[in-house]
Amino acid sequence: METIATFPTDTAQPPVVMTAVKCSDPGESGLVERAAAGDVEAFEELYRANVGRVYALCLRMSGDPSLAEELAQEAFVRAWRKLGTFRGASAFSTWLHRVTVNVVLGHQRSATRREARVRAVGDDLPHDVAGRQPGTAESIDLERAISSLPDGARTVFVLHDVEGFRHREISRLAGIAVGTSKAQLHRARKLLRKALIS
Amino acid sequence: MNCFEVLGRIDGYLDDRLRPEDAEALRDHLAKCSACAEEAEAARDLRRRAARLQRSIDPSRDLWPGIATEIAAGMVVRGRFGRRWLTAAAAVVLVAGSMVVAYLVGRGQAVTTVENRQKIETSPSAVVRASFDDLGVDDYVVTRNVLLGALEARRENLSPETLDVLMENLKVIDDAMGKIAEALGEEPGNEFLMKQLAAAYRRQIDLLEVAVRLPAEA
Repeated sequence: METIATFPTDTAQPPVVMTAVKCSDPGESGLVERAAAGDVEAFEELYRANVGRVYALCLRMSGDPSLAEELAQEAFVRAWRKLGTFRGASAFSTWLHRVTVNVVLGHQRSATRREARVRAVGDDLPHDVAGRQPGTAESIDLERAISSLPDGARTVFVLHDVEGFRHREISRLAGIAVGTSKAQLHRARKLLRKALIS
Repeated sequence: MNCFEVLGRIDGYLDDRLRPEDAEALRDHLAKCSACAEEAEAARDLRRRAARLQRSIDPSRDLWPGIATEIAAGMVVRGRFGRRWLTAAAAVVLVAGSMVVAYLVGRGQAVTTVENRQKIETSPSAVVRASFDDLGVDDYVVTRNVLLGALEARRENLSPETLDVLMENLKVIDDAMGKIAEALGEEPGNEFLMKQLAAAYRRQIDLLEVAVRLPAEA
């Protein structure tokens, strides 16, 4: 377990708010209702509409394209199993995002227990981003730099700066203190600046 | 406010979420401390760049077949419907439909002459046909036959490989539908079975619709 200095919490921070982007689709609630009732085809439509964002999140959090596919698949399977708990308080895509984050963090926790991960910086660059997808040189550089971050820093950076989660939400999801989340973000940004300059 | 406190509140400041007095104190600090001002500017820049990253990235393969299989397996585990072969049949329909359509759409243009091919025909069992009476898809057999007729008319334009894959998978779906229909005979009001049968119907029609639109493999 890596240790890192923590920042004081921001006392003026508002209550926890899930800030991942909402995708309000008029047909989405109907599909969710049908899927919750056991309609697999409706769930497949939800999969088709959301797989890109789910995979992007898994890819950035894991830094490994193959693992990201496994995690994305697991996220949808878990979403199917938990659909009965979805109350519609947020957009389905927002709820699915949270399920996905839990799947990835759960994997990271168990992987950490099983083995110390050894990564050569840059070796596991998400080639989906660098190769197959359109993107500016600037965004490709940033993707490469993100993939080279240590696990803890990468997770917090992706959740906070890319996905828009706040520290309290990250703290709850990742099981870390708010101060630790802030410290990891600071560390990530410092490493990213260094990587982007070099 | 010291440097340590400022660094912990930069995001709150950039998001305009600090109390006015805290924001003012932080601004005062930034005006006097070049190191913290640099940190704040770097954070703002990285957040801007991160916000421009792609929100959606396609995986290298379709993940749905694996998901459908796990979903079907999960139904067995939960014990809702008891018979492993039945849910396995449902999984076959789901997986076969997705994978074959993907195969047909993605395949290359093989150069092959088609000769002495058997007539294109498969047929749903009488049990399956009867089962559709309750599903509100009475035109299933008609639609299916129309599409099969269209496919038959185009058979000279398709390679034997394509036709084989197509026919094999139509039969797989037929067999699975047969098993689901038999189970429906035992439990006529079972909504899950009716949905699976209707889903299989749609899979087969989807598959045929893709097949009749395939470009000529000349």
